[in-house]
Amino acid sequence: VRGCSGGSAPSAAPLWLLTAAKLGYTPVLAKTPPLEGLTTASTFVLEQPRCVFDDYGNADIWLVVALEKAASTFNNTAGPGTLETAFQDFPDPVSAYMTLNATLANYPCPKPPGDITVLRVGSETSCAQDKARPTCNGPLPGPGPYLVKFLALQGSEPVAETAWSERIMLRTAKPPSSISTTGSGHSAGMIAITTILSILFAILLAGLVAMLVFWGSDSCGGSSTFSKPESVTVRRYNTHHVYDQPAARL
Amino acid sequence: MAKSEDCVHILQGLLVFGNVVIGMCGIALTAECIYFVSNPHGVYTLLKASENSDIYAAAWIGIFVGLALFALSILGIIGVIKASRTLLLVYIILMLITFAFEMASCITAATHRDSATPELFLKQMLERYQKSEPANNNGNEVTKTWDELMLQNHCCGVLGPSDWQEYTSAFRLTHSDADYPWPRKCCVLDAQGLPVNLDGCKLGVPGYYNSNGCYDAISGPVNTHAWGVAWFGFAILCWTFCVLLGTMFYWSGIEY
Repeated sequence: VRGCSGGSAPSAAPLWLLTAAKLGYTPVLAKTPPLEGLTTASTFVLEQPRCVFDDYGNADIWLVVALEKAASTFNNTAGPGTLETAFQDFPDPVSAYMTLNATLANYPCPKPPGDITVLRVGSETSCAQDKARPTCNGPLPGPGPYLVKFLALQGSEPVAETAWSERIMLRTAKPPSSISTTGSGHSAGMIAITTILSILFAILLAGLVAMLVFWGSDSCGGSSTFSKPESVTVRRYNTHHVYDQPAARL
Repeated sequence: MAKSEDCVHILQGLLVFGNVVIGMCGIALTAECIYFVSNPHGVYTLLKASENSDIYAAAWIGIFVGLALFALSILGIIGVIKASRTLLLVYIILMLITFAFEMASCITAATHRDSATPELFLKQMLERYQKSEPANNNGNEVTKTWDELMLQNHCCGVLGPSDWQEYTSAFRLTHSDADYPWPRKCCVLDAQGLPVNLDGCKLGVPGYYNSNGCYDAISGPVNTHAWGVAWFGFAILCWTFCVLLGTMFYWSGIEY
């Protein structure tokens, strides 16, 4: 058992193997193509680390997902699939777990153009409660923030690691009761219709009242008073004959 | 007095013409409202579920108002030609009642169209879509309507698939976020109704899921419906106003 601080080792392993090589790559959320589900409430999508671990063809490449506060204290020699790094105990008491085991063959270099090369963290729901699968890629239990890094292990020795990523925050969902459906205001059209129609209706009512008040009185009729035509026919007549020969129509 | 008779005949002619137009518009209004009531594009279920179905009440009123306008226009024509004071008085009073009803219909249609906002549909969708309550028939109808809507219009949610991410919902209670960031109906489906690429859909890769919201598909019919009832009714009422004023003027000029 080797300690982190590189204490005396029983075998003849050179001292430089005790600390993993720090690669210049920073894990990052997938950039192309633009993904709608880049971060959801319990998953996020990373770029695959292509052309990063090319010198470590024999190593197992693991993804370490850690709470932000635990990243600095993460011990590279913590083995995957142990109680210390079991997904099922994340985030309490386990503060960083290891998952998504892969080898260099899974990340061929160079990346073929047009291929979508992403890793979805949190996609395995079937093993989320299964203690027999401590390296489960289960859905994340909270919105974060989380930090991730890739760790290459040869046997059980860490040989290379990437830098820690930027903080990854997941989405928090609001309750639907927070949506306000009132106060949408009235459109100009509706106000116009209401006002104009009300005014027209008021004028008509006033006209009706005036009509009834002056019922039977010719004073309002004035010059437009005219006689009723005969009810038996609706044909038009030459008007200058109407008063001359009323008897002719019978 | 030839000139006065000419004026009278012109006025009679105009009133008859006005009533003919009212009659035809009444038939058109009835036809339009029957069309809206019988062809709701599935939006009726959503509106009913949100207690916002008064737009349909406005259309129903429109049907009867249209028939009334047609009948009254015939009465008006007869009254004008006969120059009968009684007939025209009855005509004016009944027309005013019809005017009031049509006014109510227009204002209702316009107001309720204003309240059919995206937020209203969003809230209803989140609260009722896939709500697992066997006793609640209402929830089931909403689910069926939304499924049909999303399938036929190739859309997702009200504003987009992010609706399912930004808010918790009844759907989220029964479907985990990792497996179902959004409903399967939001995926591009093949002929058998299965997602073409399920992983692509879950990731949100363009081409494997429907990225636009369904609000346009909903608000389109609601808008045409509401404005069809409201503005056409408004136009008819403006014309009716002129004809009624003319009729009142004509009435007061008839020899008693």
